[in-house]
Amino acid sequence: MLKSKAFSRQTRQGKVVKEVREHYLRDDIYCGVPYCYNKKTEDNDKGCDISSARLSDSPSTTILVLDTNVVLNQIDLLENPAMDNVVVLSVVLSEVKNKNIAVYNRLRALCSNSLRKFYVFSNEHHKDTYVTAMAGESPNDRNDRAIRKAAKWYQDHLGDAASVLLITNDRENKKKAIEEGISAETIECYVKSLGQPELLDLIVQPPSEDVIMDDVEDLRPSKRKVIYNEHKPMSEITSGLLRGLLHQGKLRVNRFNPFEAYVGSESIGDEIIIYGRANINRAFDGDIVAVELLPQEQWHEEKSLALADEEDEEEDVHLAPNSADDAPRVMNQGQTAPEETKPSRPTGRVVGIIKRNWHSYCGSLEPMPMPAGDGGRAHALFVSKDRRFPKIRIQTRQLGNLLDKRIIVAVDSWDRLSRFPTGHYVRTIGEIGDRDTETEVVLIENDIDARPFSAQVLACLPPLPWSVSSQDLTNPIRQDLRHLRVCSVDPPGCKDIDDALHCMPLPNGNFEVGVHIADVTNFVHPGTPLDDEASQRGTSVYLVERRIDMLPKPLTEDICSLRSDVERLAFSVIWEMTPDAEIISTRYTKSVIKSCAALSYVEAQARMDDSRLVDPITSDLRNLNKLAKIMRQRRIDRGALTLASAEVKFQIDTETHDPLDIGMYQIREANQMIEEFMLAANVAVAEQILKHFPLCALLRRHPSPTKEMLEPLLRTAEAVGLSLDVTSSKALADSLDRAKGDDPYFNKLIRILATRCMTQAVYFCSGDLSPPEYLHYGLASLLYTHFTSPIRRYADVIVHRLLAASLGIYKLPGVFQDRPKLTSISDNLNYRHRNAQMASRASVELHTLIFFRKRPTDTEARIVKIRSNGFIVFVPKYGIEGPVYLTPKGDKGGEWTVDEKQQKIRKLDGSVSYGVLGTVRIHMEVVEPQPNRPKLQLTLV
Amino acid sequence: MEYVNPEGLRLDGRRPMEMRQLRAEIGVVSRADGSASFEMGNTKVIAAVYGPREVQNRSQQMNDQALVRCEYSMANFSTGDRRRKTKGDRRSTEISLVIRQTMEACILTNLMPRSQIDIYVQVLQADGGTRSACINAATLALADAGIPMRDLVTSCSAGYLNSTPLLDLNYLEDSAGGADVTVGILPKLDKVTLLQMDAKLPMDIFENVMQLAVEGCKAVDSYIREILLENTKTLEIHRGV
Amino acid sequence: MVGLSVGEKNFIKGGIAQDLRNDGRKRLTYRPIYVETGVIPQANGSARVKLGETDVIASVKAELGKPRVSHPDQGKVYIYVECSPTAEPSFERRGGDELSTELSIALERSLLGGKSGAGAGINPASLLIKEGKVCWDLYVDCLVISSDGNLLDALGAAIKAALSNTGIPRVQVREAASSDEQADVDVSDEEFLQFDTSGVPVIVTLTKVGRHYIVDATSEEESLMSSAVSISVNRHGMICGLTKRGGAGLDPSVILDMISVAKHVSEQLLNKLDSEIEAAERANEEEP
Repeated sequence: MLKSKAFSRQTRQGKVVKEVREHYLRDDIYCGVPYCYNKKTEDNDKGCDISSARLSDSPSTTILVLDTNVVLNQIDLLENPAMDNVVVLSVVLSEVKNKNIAVYNRLRALCSNSLRKFYVFSNEHHKDTYVTAMAGESPNDRNDRAIRKAAKWYQDHLGDAASVLLITNDRENKKKAIEEGISAETIECYVKSLGQPELLDLIVQPPSEDVIMDDVEDLRPSKRKVIYNEHKPMSEITSGLLRGLLHQGKLRVNRFNPFEAYVGSESIGDEIIIYGRANINRAFDGDIVAVELLPQEQWHEEKSLALADEEDEEEDVHLAPNSADDAPRVMNQGQTAPEETKPSRPTGRVVGIIKRNWHSYCGSLEPMPMPAGDGGRAHALFVSKDRRFPKIRIQTRQLGNLLDKRIIVAVDSWDRLSRFPTGHYVRTIGEIGDRDTETEVVLIENDIDARPFSAQVLACLPPLPWSVSSQDLTNPIRQDLRHLRVCSVDPPGCKDIDDALHCMPLPNGNFEVGVHIADVTNFVHPGTPLDDEASQRGTSVYLVERRIDMLPKPLTEDICSLRSDVERLAFSVIWEMTPDAEIISTRYTKSVIKSCAALSYVEAQARMDDSRLVDPITSDLRNLNKLAKIMRQRRIDRGALTLASAEVKFQIDTETHDPLDIGMYQIREANQMIEEFMLAANVAVAEQILKHFPLCALLRRHPSPTKEMLEPLLRTAEAVGLSLDVTSSKALADSLDRAKGDDPYFNKLIRILATRCMTQAVYFCSGDLSPPEYLHYGLASLLYTHFTSPIRRYADVIVHRLLAASLGIYKLPGVFQDRPKLTSISDNLNYRHRNAQMASRASVELHTLIFFRKRPTDTEARIVKIRSNGFIVFVPKYGIEGPVYLTPKGDKGGEWTVDEKQQKIRKLDGSVSYGVLGTVRIHMEVVEPQPNRPKLQLTLV
Repeated sequence: MEYVNPEGLRLDGRRPMEMRQLRAEIGVVSRADGSASFEMGNTKVIAAVYGPREVQNRSQQMNDQALVRCEYSMANFSTGDRRRKTKGDRRSTEISLVIRQTMEACILTNLMPRSQIDIYVQVLQADGGTRSACINAATLALADAGIPMRDLVTSCSAGYLNSTPLLDLNYLEDSAGGADVTVGILPKLDKVTLLQMDAKLPMDIFENVMQLAVEGCKAVDSYIREILLENTKTLEIHRGV
Repeated sequence: MVGLSVGEKNFIKGGIAQDLRNDGRKRLTYRPIYVETGVIPQANGSARVKLGETDVIASVKAELGKPRVSHPDQGKVYIYVECSPTAEPSFERRGGDELSTELSIALERSLLGGKSGAGAGINPASLLIKEGKVCWDLYVDCLVISSDGNLLDALGAAIKAALSNTGIPRVQVREAASSDEQADVDVSDEEFLQFDTSGVPVIVTLTKVGRHYIVDATSEEESLMSSAVSISVNRHGMICGLTKRGGAGLDPSVILDMISVAKHVSEQLLNKLDSEIEAAERANEEEP
C-alpha cells in the first residue's frame, strides 16, 4: 500500500513559523495516454493503468505540455476546442491557483469536461518527475525546471510513439528546454502552425510587449499622456490599510451611471462614493480595491464631475424595476438639492487594486470605418452590453466580420497611459439584434447554464414511460390519496405543474384542505449528478420565448408534473380548517394522488363565477376561494403588504417566436386563491422544519426596508400631498390602503413605487441568523420558506428533504451537517434566483424592443421622477420605464427649472409644468442612432 | 479547502486509504526495561517501560494484579509553535489515562500481583495521530520488556473530509475540523479496545470511517509483528544461537 | 537511582585508582560519542547526542522578539532542559524539575557568558534585526531521553551540534511601520542565516571520586562522587564558564589542576565532536 518515500518541505507564512509537511512520491501516477506502450498488463503490473487515460488515442496528435504563463494568459484560447490533447501538470495547477483562482477554476472545468482531452498529471508526486529546489534556486526557477522535467519524462516515456511539445512563453524556459532536448514552442508559433487565423485573435498580448502598445498609441498620438494615477505598491497598501489611511472593499459600479461607484468599507462602516473615471482609476466592478478618502470639503464636487465627464452616456428605456435591487441607486439628496446642512457621504478615490475581478464581457464593437488595407490587424473599441464596464480596446484580424456581431471579449491589462483597458476577442455569439443572439447574450450575462443536460445527469432519470408502481402504493411512508378530488390551477399552457389542491367538507362542518406538491425528491437523490446539476442551476429560468429547466424535461413535464388523470407521487400538507379558515390540525405526508382537472386561472375563475355550475370541482373551488379570502384578509390585518408590480405578458407567434401582443398581466381571484394556499403551505412547512432542525433549516426572509430605502417613496408621496407611515409593515400597509387619489390607477402606482423600494427576499440557513432576523417583512410572517415548486426551484428540493427527515421517513443527507456548505448553497440559490429574474427582465426588454420595432405607438405614461432636463416616465401598459427629454441632448435645461420640494419641472416662462405622478401622453418608437444599435425612444406627444 | 484533489491525491500525495510511512525501533532507551520509538510520518514518539517492579507507593499495591501506570508528555519542541508545556494539563492527563486503560486491557496483570509497571511515552514530534503512535510505541515497549500480554494493541485514526474517508490524518488534515476517529484494536482477538471520535458524522459514514481505521490498525499490526520478529532474530544472533 | 553494594563501590573506586574503570576506560577517556543532526525537522536546528547510554536531544527554535531595553543591540537566547520520565521513573510528574532547573542554569552559565553577552558561545549581536525593535529570540530546548551520567557534557555537546545545524530565515524590516510596536517584517524563503559555532565551548565535567577525578562519569560513578567541577572551554582554550557541584570542598590548587586537565581534555573532545557534527551534517545533505 505504501510505496512512497517521505521527505519534508518547508513553507513559511506570515509569522515566522517553520512548517514541515510530508511529501510522498508515488509510482502509480500514469501518463494518461491510451496507446502508452508501457501499459499495465497481466505480466506488467508496474505499467500505466490506461483505464483513466484522457488524452487522444491517436499517436499523431501532438501532446501539449503547458507552462504556467500560458495557462494564466491564454485561458480563453485553451477553452477553444482547437486546443486539445493537453497535459496539465500539478505544479502548473498549483501555481495558477495561487495567482488567479478564476483561471484555476476554468482550467479545472476543462480538466473535468469529458468532451475535452485535458489530463492532469500529478508530476509533483511522481517519483520520476519531482524536483527538489537547489541551493539558491528561486521557487519560480524550480517550478520551471519541474515543468521541463515532466515534459522530458513524457518524451522519454512515450519514446517515438508520440510527439510531445512544451508550450511556454517564457524565453528562458524555452531556451533551457531546447538545450535539454525537449521540443518547445511559444503559444503564438503553435497557434500559427494550426492554420486557423481566427484563433490568433484569442491570443493575449502580454503587456510587456511594448511594440504593440506603441502601435495602438500611434493611432491617437494626442492621447499619449498619463491619464490615471499610479496604483500604489502592495506593501504601501497593506501598511496604509493597517494604519487606517486607506480602506478596503469591493467596488460596485452604479448600473445606471458607470462614472459612479461605491465601495462598502468595513473600516468606516459606510459606503464610500467614488465619482468620475479618474477617481475610479481603472478599477472594474467587483474588484477589491484600496480607497483613500478625499478631504471632506471635496465631498460635494460630485455633481459637476459626474455630469461633466465625457461622452454620450445616456439612460436607456428599460423595464420598470420590481424591487430596490433592480432600481437605480438612491442617491444622496445632496445631489439634487444642494442643501449644505445635509451631511454628505464620504467620497474617495481608488489608489490601488487588491484583487482584480476581470472576466469576459458580452457586447459589440463600437462602429468604426473599416481601416484601409483590410485583412491585417485592426484596433477596435469594444462596448460591453453591461454599462458598468468601460470600453475595451482589442485588436482583430476580422474587423469586417465582427462589426455587426455580438462578441465576447476578455480584459488583459490596463496601463496608466491608456484611457481604456486592453483585451482580446474570445468568440462571436451572433448578429446584433437577432433574437437568438440577444437571448444568448442575456444568458451569458446572467451566468445561466442553458446547455443540454449531460449524459450522466440523464442517466439518473427513471426509465420511461414511468408510472406509479405497486411498490409506491404499498410503501408505508406513502399514503394513497387517489380517491381525493384533487385539481390544479396554473397559468394557461403550464406543463410543469408543481402543485394541486383538494378541499373536502367534513361531517363536522369543517374542511379538509390539502396542498399536494410534486414529489421531486423521490427522483432526485442527494449526491447524484442530477442533484448536483440541479443544485448548480438553482432554478428554472423563464424567458419570454423559452424556458431553461432546472431538471430534465421528462421529470418536469411528465414524471413529476401533477397532470390531470394520471397517478402521480406527491408530498402533501393537509389541514383541517374551520369554515373561518382557522387551522385545527396540520399533517404532512408523502402520497399518491390522481388529479382530476388541470385548470388554468381563467378557467378556474370562469367556473367560480358561473353560478350555473354546481359540479363538485367547482364547489370545491368556491370553498377554497372562500377560505382563501379569509386567510388573505387575516394576513393583511397582520400587516402583510399588498405590493404591486407591473408585469407584462407577451403573446408570442408560435411560428416565428416574435411577440404579437403585449399587455399587463391580469391578476384574478383564482391567482390569489392559489397563492394564499401556497403561502400557507410554505409557512406550515417552515415551522415544521425549523422545529426539527433549528440549525440547518433553509428558510426565506425578507428584511425590513430601512428609512433610506423608503426615502424616494416618501419624497414622491410628499410632493403629491400624501403622508405615508412607514414605521412598520402594518402601518405602511394601512397608509397604502388609504392612498386613494382621484384616478383609479393612483393607488396601484403608489404601490408599485413602494414595491421598488424594497429589497428582495433571500434564502438563508437558519443557523446563520438569529430568530428575529427570520422575519418575512412583505408577508408579515415570522417564518417562511419555499416548498411548493420543487420542479423549478432547488430551494424547494432542499426543503422537501428537510421535511421528509423531520417526519423520520428519510435520513437527512450529509450536507446538512456541513454548515459552511449549506450557507454556500443558499448563497448560490440567491445568486441564481437573482440572475434568473434579471434574465427574465432582460428577455422582456428584448422582446419589447422587437415588438415596437414595427409598431410605433402613442400611449399614456406616468411621471415617476423629475430630472433637470426632463423626467422619467413609467408606461403601465407595457411595464417599461424610460427618460423623456424636454431639452435637446447636451443642453442642461436652460429654460426649465426644477422644484425639488414639489417634484415639478417648470418652463421658465411658466407656461408648462410637469409634476411627479402626473399623466403625459408619449410616443414610443424604435430608433437607430448608430447602425446596428436599435433603441426604444420615448418622446412627448 | 481541498484536502483530496480531483486526481484522488491528498495534500501530501497519499491516496485516501493510505497510511503514512511507519518506522519503529526497539530498545531506544537502553536503561529502561523495555523501550521503542514509533513514527507515523512526521509524528514521532518514544515509549519506555519500567517494571514489573516493586510498587513504589505501598497504598496502591494490589494483591491480585499488577499496577499499571502511564505518563504522557510532549517535548517543548514537538509542535510547530514552541510552547512551554506544563506537565499534567488536562489534555495530557486524558491521553495518559486513555493509554493506560488501553494497555491495561491487554497486559496479563493477574500474572504479576503486587508489582508495578510504568509506561512513559514521550512525544518528540507531533504531526497528528499522536494518540495512535503512543499506543503503538507502548505496545512495542511492553513486548520489548517481556511483559505478558493477551495480544498486541495497535491503533490508527481515520477522518472524513471532502466527503471522503481518510486514513491516518496528519496535523493539517486533523485541524480541518472534520471528524477524527481513533481506534485501537486487539488484532488477534479481533476486538476494539479504544474508540474515540470528535466532531460529528452520520451513522452510516461513521461505520465506513471506523472500518477504515480498523483496517489501518491491522496494517500497523502486521508492521509491528515484522519489527518484533526482526528484533527477535537480532537478539538470537547476538546470543550466538 | 543507583543502588550499589559496598563491594561494588569499592570495586569502582579501586578501578578508578588504578586508571582502569569498570567499563574499561581510563580516567580521562570519554565514552563513544554519537551525533545526529536535524532530528526535529520542525525546529530551526536540532541534534541528538548519545554518550554511552546517555541520550539527549537539543532543538533550537527562533522567534521574533524585542531586544531588552538594557541591551537594545542584542538578541536573546534561552536554554531549557526537560527530563523525560523515559530516562528515569523518578522524573515523572514534577520529579525531574529540580534536576532540569539545575542543568538549565548550568548550561546557560557555561554557554551564554555574562549578562553583557561577553564570552557567549553565540554572539547575541548577530541575532539583532533592528536595533531596539526586533531581534531573534533563540529558544534552546533540550530533552533527556535516557540518562547514564554526565548529562551536562552531553547536553552541551547536543546544543553545540544543534546550533551548527541551525538555519534562520533572513528577514527584513519593512520601513513603513514607524512608531507602532509590532514591527512588520518580510521573511525570505530561500536565504538562511547560519551561525558561526566555532566559538561555542564544550563542557568538560571532572568528577572527583576518592582522590582522583574522572571525565564522563556514568551514573554508577556519579553516585560515588564527592564533588564535580564543570568547565566550559572554547576552541581557543579559553574558559567560558565554571560550575562546581557536590558537597565536599576542594582545595584551590586542585581546582587549578582540574582546569588545566579540562583544557587538555576539551581539545580532544572538541575535535571529536566537530568531526562527528560534520559527519552528521554531511549525512543529512546526502539523504534527500
